[in-house]
Order: sequence, then structure tokens, then C-alpha cells
Amino acid sequence: MNGVASQDELYRDVAEQFGSALERLARAYEVDPDKRRDLIQEIHFQLWRSFERFDARCSTRTWVYRVAHHVAASHVLRERRKFSNLVSVEELEMLPDKDHGHFAADRRINLDRLSALIQQLKPLDRQVIVSYLEDMDAASIGEITGLSPANVAMRISRIKNILARRFHEGGNHAS
Amino acid sequence: MHPENDPKKIWQSQPVEPSVMTIHLLRRRVRQLHARTRKQLVGSLVMPIVIIASYIYAIRQFHYPVVQSLFALTIAWSMAGVYFLNRGMWSAEMPGDAALSTGLEFYRREVDRRCSLFRRLLWWGFLPMISIIGTFILALATTEGSKSLPKAMPFITLLIVWVGAYLVIRMREQRELRREIDELNEVEKSVGG
Repeated sequence: MNGVASQDELYRDVAEQFGSALERLARAYEVDPDKRRDLIQEIHFQLWRSFERFDARCSTRTWVYRVAHHVAASHVLRERRKFSNLVSVEELEMLPDKDHGHFAADRRINLDRLSALIQQLKPLDRQVIVSYLEDMDAASIGEITGLSPANVAMRISRIKNILARRFHEGGNHAS
Repeated sequence: MHPENDPKKIWQSQPVEPSVMTIHLLRRRVRQLHARTRKQLVGSLVMPIVIIASYIYAIRQFHYPVVQSLFALTIAWSMAGVYFLNRGMWSAEMPGDAALSTGLEFYRREVDRRCSLFRRLLWWGFLPMISIIGTFILALATTEGSKSLPKAMPFITLLIVWVGAYLVIRMREQRELRREIDELNEVEKSVGG
């Protein structure tokens, strides 16, 4: 009974603390609003289930992000037609930016551009970029993804380059 | 820097809808999942019965020993296929059970699982189906000679085109998954080293 109570309590706490971050994470994986709603519900469901065996071997935040990214990665693999068009962060760095120089002062448009950019990436790189955008450090990202600190640092550096090219430069041109 | 073009700010300040998942809804989802599992179990029992019934009917229709042996062989193949395909489906790990695995480990396992699922589907589902269709064509050709076969040719041609297209698409997906596994192997090597 205690187990069930703590499972429910843990889930409630986490849903309150990470609810918005999980919604943002789902946006990184699914563009269609209806499918995104299903994905969010599945993430919450799997999180709630997972707390039955939560033993604090890692932090709650690592646990939450791992489960959420696992659900989302499975979702990406299920969408087979989209999966074949995904690229790695290295490949994305080489791709030309169609919107380069067309910086929009509208945050909504920039968010759509950022989401579209993330949605081109393979799941592992998406985990890194989403964690980076959520302000996590390399060690935390390594704990979630299982990548070495050097590998995380290299990917973050590439991600920063891409983001700088597509957002900052565009902004400088515009302002 | 213009605040409107800081990616972290853009990302973190995006509007989000509040989640509507409650414990009551989550428990309902568990019940739905159990109901779906029960339905799938019943479905997995119905399927072999339908397969056996249709093959026995086919054996009774065609009296040639070669054709009957081929049908019998395909029955055995299909029955083994039902077992192996179901075993693969029930052993799938749910993401919520893998919180101790890192993103890399879980993703690697998922890609592997999808690769092997396709191989199982090919060996235990697709090939027995092709075998039974081939046996039917052979049976038609041997029992009624040139009378029935020309009439069935449009259907057979369509079937061959469908089979070809299905195989090409699935093989391409399989190649992509293998490429992904190779890339993940490289990443794992760099993590280990």
C-alpha cells in the first residue's frame, strides 16, 4: 500500500515539477498536435509505471528524462517513414539553412524554426539538444544519454554552432 | 544579443498546455492496456485455428501427394511462425521499465529489436504466406492445367508486384536500421574508449 502511495506521490511531484519540461520535450519529437498529446500521455503513463521500481540509484531528474526520452525514441522509431529522413548533428551542420538571414522578430516563428531543426535530428542527438536547451550541464546530459563527457561536449559545440548560425547571425542581420 | 533569438530563451518560454493526466486516468489506462493484451492473446489463439482450418480445406481440395505435402509443410511453418512472432511481441520492454538504462543503451536495444522483429516477420510470417500462395498456384496448375491458371494471372501478377514492393520497402528500412546500429556501435566505442 505504501509502495502504491509513494508511486502516486512521486508521480504527482514529478508531474508538477517537470510537467512543462515534458511538454517541451514532446514538442521536440512530434510536430502533429494530436500525436503529440498522445505522446505526452504515454510519457506520463510510463513515468507513473516506472516509479513502482524507483530506488533513487540516480536522481529523479535523470530518471524522468531517461523515461521520457525512451518513450519518445520508441515513438520516433515507430514512425518509420519519418525516421528515414533524420540526420545526425554532424550532417545537420553541413546542411544549408533555407531561412538563413531571414531572422524573425516573432518568438513564435523562431520557436517553430527551432522545433523544425530539432525534429530533423536522430533520437540520440535530440536528447542532447533538448537537454542543452533545458540548461543542463554536460555531466547531466551524459548521465541521461550515456555518452561520454567528451562526446557530449563535442555534440554541444556542434549544436551551438548550428544554433548560432541559424539564430544569432540572423538576428544580427535583422537588428 | 536580441532576446527573441536566444534559442534557450525561445525554447524555455514556449507556451505549454497544462497536463491533464491524473492518477484516475493513469489507472484507467492500465485497465485499457490489460484489456488490449487480453484481446491480443485471444487474437493470437484465433489465428492458428483459422490457418489450420484453411490449410485442411486446401489439402482436401487438392489430392496430389506433392501438393498435400507442401500444404502440410506450410502448416507446420505457419504454426511455428505464430509461436515465434508472438514470443517476440510479448518480450518487448516498455520504456518505463528501462529507467536505469541510458538513452544510448535503450535506443540501441530498440533499434536492434526492430531489426530482429523484421527478420522474424520475414521468416515466420511473410515467407510462409508466400509459400502457401505458391503452393496454391502450383495446385491450380497441376490439377486444372491451363484452364484456371490464365484466369488467375491478373491476381497473381498483382500479388507478385505487391510482394516485390513490400520487400523493397522493408529491405530499405532494414538497411537504414543497420546503418543506425553501425553508427551507434561507433558511439559506444567512443564511450568505452
